[in-house]
Amino acid sequence: MLTGLDIKKSFGSTEVLKDVNIQVKPGRISVLIGPSGSGKTTLIRALALLDFPDSGEIAFDGHTYKFPLNDNQVIEPPWPDLTVVFQQHFLWPHLTLRKNILLPLSKKTDSHHTVDDLIKIFQMEDFIDRYPNEVSIGQRQRAALARAFALEPKYILLDEITSALDVEQTGAVIRHLLTLRDQGIGLLVVTHLLAFARELVAKDEGDHIYFLDNGKILGSGGLEFFENPGSERAKQFISSMDYWTGNNKVS
Amino acid sequence: MDTFLQILNRHSEAFLKGITVTVQLALIIWGSGIVIGTLLGILSAKYKRCIGIPTRIITFILSGIPVLVYLYWAHYPMQSILGVVINPFLTAAIVLSTINIFSVSEQIRTHLIDFPEQYRIAAKVCGLSQKTTVYRIQLPIILRQVIPSLLTQQVIMLHSTLFASLISVEEIFRVAQRVNSLEYKPIHIYTALALLFLIICLPVNGLAIWLRERFTRNLSET
Repeated sequence: MLTGLDIKKSFGSTEVLKDVNIQVKPGRISVLIGPSGSGKTTLIRALALLDFPDSGEIAFDGHTYKFPLNDNQVIEPPWPDLTVVFQQHFLWPHLTLRKNILLPLSKKTDSHHTVDDLIKIFQMEDFIDRYPNEVSIGQRQRAALARAFALEPKYILLDEITSALDVEQTGAVIRHLLTLRDQGIGLLVVTHLLAFARELVAKDEGDHIYFLDNGKILGSGGLEFFENPGSERAKQFISSMDYWTGNNKVS
Repeated sequence: MDTFLQILNRHSEAFLKGITVTVQLALIIWGSGIVIGTLLGILSAKYKRCIGIPTRIITFILSGIPVLVYLYWAHYPMQSILGVVINPFLTAAIVLSTINIFSVSEQIRTHLIDFPEQYRIAAKVCGLSQKTTVYRIQLPIILRQVIPSLLTQQVIMLHSTLFASLISVEEIFRVAQRVNSLEYKPIHIYTALALLFLIICLPVNGLAIWLRERFTRNLSET
């Protein structure tokens, strides 16, 4: 299990995360929703141990990392068992998309079959040998997803991964995420698309939604969260999102 | 009427000597600039305070002084103040090498410091080791970005070797001037000189353009 306990993080005098508690269970999907600037990406970076929290605990499959670290304490983050797909993709520009996916797998001899499968699943055959600057944003996004999935991690944190995908591609991503969940992988999906969030958690009762606003978790729950968000702020956020998607369920 | 080949034949020894001096000067400037400049650039990026800041200050000052003034100052007033006489070839080599070293170091330092952090982050979360990240990600990206501009810089430095003629270094331009004063065939002599530089510089400039178009990527898009 990947757990964040009482996570606090500030940049200068701005407190971005305020005692955030979150869990990502193996074989389950956790969805993190919230408005822009609420701290979603900061939370992902903290959970991935890319930016250490100011205080709190992060636990990963039996290893507990307590913050702040002691003087001279060095930690070994559990990458790539825990990996991240970033909204901005972060593909290496000097490598083709295929090489972007294959480079981290150079020591894994049995992963090429997985890569070929991923290329088919995300329909990348036509552009897989191009460089990142020669393809569209949506194609880059698919390559970034394939790079993370090919690593066969235990947990994947996905930050706004559908922002550049069309409906068909988003459908393919949802199907693949559900397959990964069924294989026992823990997923934390950050999104501002409620339809995408609903689609992900609708299939299994164990999945979970967290609503983050202004650095605090203001509500969480299963699929019922959409009907009964708890806090007024969460209700207001979901209502405004449903207004745009035409799914006006919250009164 | 004498053709250029006849002039060349009459002064072949002088031209050969001039080309040799120019090539020697260029090799010293290029070699020291690339080797020492690269090392200085890496150290400036790594030790920002103790090496980076002094290096940047020197580069800033050097960039404000014309090469010719710097060369003359090192040849006349500096030697007069110090009470020494230094071989003009050595003076030109030191002055032009210094300029090249600091220009190269600044380019290397800038590319290292501006290296986009996201590529290192992606390498981390993909589980790449520090060594693999340096050799397979950082170095290839930085070299692709920096090599075209370094080649262009070396062409500029080759052109700058002509200034050495003004402090009596017997390089190719000075030889051409001397031969012209004897033969008075400026069209032949200076056209040949221009062609000689074109033959050397065009392939290097062409290589820089090819490398830039083939390998340099827009890092803001990925």
